[in-house]
Amino acid sequence: MSSSELPDYVLKNRENWTRSNAEYTDASARRAWAQEEITWGMFRAPESELQLLGDVGGKDVVELGCGTAYFSAWLARRGARPVGVDVTPAQLKTARRMQREFGPEFPLVEASAEDVPLPDASFDLVHSEYGASIWCDPERWLGEAARLLRPRGELIFLRTSTLLILCAPETGQAGTELVREYAALARIDWTDDEGTEFHPPHGDLIRLLHGNGFELEDLIELRAPATAETHPYYDHVTADWARRWPSEEIWKAHKR
Amino acid sequence: MTELSEHARRNRAHWTELATQYAERAERVWSSEPKWGCWGKPERELGLLGDVAGKDVLDLGCGTGYWSARLARLGARPVGLDVTPAQLETARRMQREFELEFPLIEASAEDVPLPDASFDLVLSEYGASLWCDPYLWVPEAARLLRPGGELVFLVNGIISMLCVPDAPEPAGPELLRPYFGLRRVEWSFEDTVEFYLGHGDWIRLLRANGFEVLDLVELQAPKGAPDPPGLDVPTEWARRWPAEEIWKARKQS
Repeated sequence: MSSSELPDYVLKNRENWTRSNAEYTDASARRAWAQEEITWGMFRAPESELQLLGDVGGKDVVELGCGTAYFSAWLARRGARPVGVDVTPAQLKTARRMQREFGPEFPLVEASAEDVPLPDASFDLVHSEYGASIWCDPERWLGEAARLLRPRGELIFLRTSTLLILCAPETGQAGTELVREYAALARIDWTDDEGTEFHPPHGDLIRLLHGNGFELEDLIELRAPATAETHPYYDHVTADWARRWPSEEIWKAHKR
Repeated sequence: MTELSEHARRNRAHWTELATQYAERAERVWSSEPKWGCWGKPERELGLLGDVAGKDVLDLGCGTGYWSARLARLGARPVGLDVTPAQLETARRMQREFELEFPLIEASAEDVPLPDASFDLVLSEYGASLWCDPYLWVPEAARLLRPGGELVFLVNGIISMLCVPDAPEPAGPELLRPYFGLRRVEWSFEDTVEFYLGHGDWIRLLRANGFEVLDLVELQAPKGAPDPPGLDVPTEWARRWPAEEIWKARKQS
């Protein structure tokens, strides 16, 4: 799909990620790629504790919205065969530089997760961390995830928690008040030009997963550890808030 | 039957006190079509139960037995179970009045004196789903269901439980208690014990007991509806966020 055919919100989100790459993700990629351990989310919950991925050795993995592709790199070092998909060229450029610096190399594909130029039933695991999971239309990317997976293949994605989005003001940090209605979560067009996010609430997401042929396995609502500090760049939520309420959640399902 | 848990005894005392009030509204709720929750969302709109005709149904925490009565009229074979004798007394009176008989059992849903694999549907609306420890009643539901049998239950929306004050006052938009650690809730103004799980905990508990999670329906109060009597969540709140949620799960074969 050429750029001219991408929906407006994908183009807008790509513009924002080009800026974020210049502001933060390009510079922070070295730390993420250098990290040995697999961790989840802003407060780095260790995979060794959550045990969501199982043995990824020999598995074909596609990461939808891979950004600088650090998660794919972590999986590749454990024997997986990842493919990183991202719609933002600047992010993939950083990913390629990291591949040369740290290794290993694996395919990177410039595309939107709503329309992935890869064949049906070619993956054992679809992963997304703050990628397609919030920036793409769930009706579209979950359909693509189902198409790309082999039967019994796993889908694991991390996104902002429903509760945090309900408490997230237009600008600044989340407080302790619900400032957004439930019905307004499906699609959020940030007024300060920060792009478009999709946050279907839990019931809707369960139905979307079912409707796309998935069986729900787990929902991990992450709690920031006692020692965690507020993230220096993603500071829309404080560590203190995230110790009381879940700021991030991981969904796990498999294709029936 | 083993002895009742401490929370079951306290909740039974509370429901014994409330029984007169619930007896007054029993006739009205017995007469109505199947509907869900305080704002009465019709089952015919939600379609959660499917065709219940010929199905063995267990109502865990049946109160005055109105849900069982509604399902009996649709051809189901219900059994109502409740821990509070005063509530079952009203249920028996209604059975005579409506000439609609079905078994009523006095027991806690945490320890049900009925055989394994004897039901096609287990249902609970503000019954076991709220007043019993889910880590005890969900395994009982799994034991009582036949393979492929369904579990459908209504509870307070988890977000509403973060916003309800510990006083007989209405919920507002402020988060008043943390999500983490929520499970057993006791109120300073009432001697009861209620149980609330976060969504992740519900999913894990259901899966651990051999259920596939089929649906989670987060209810929105209808426009212009009056505030339900005695409820701590006003309609205006329940228009904006889910005050009630219905879980549907299937026991895997």
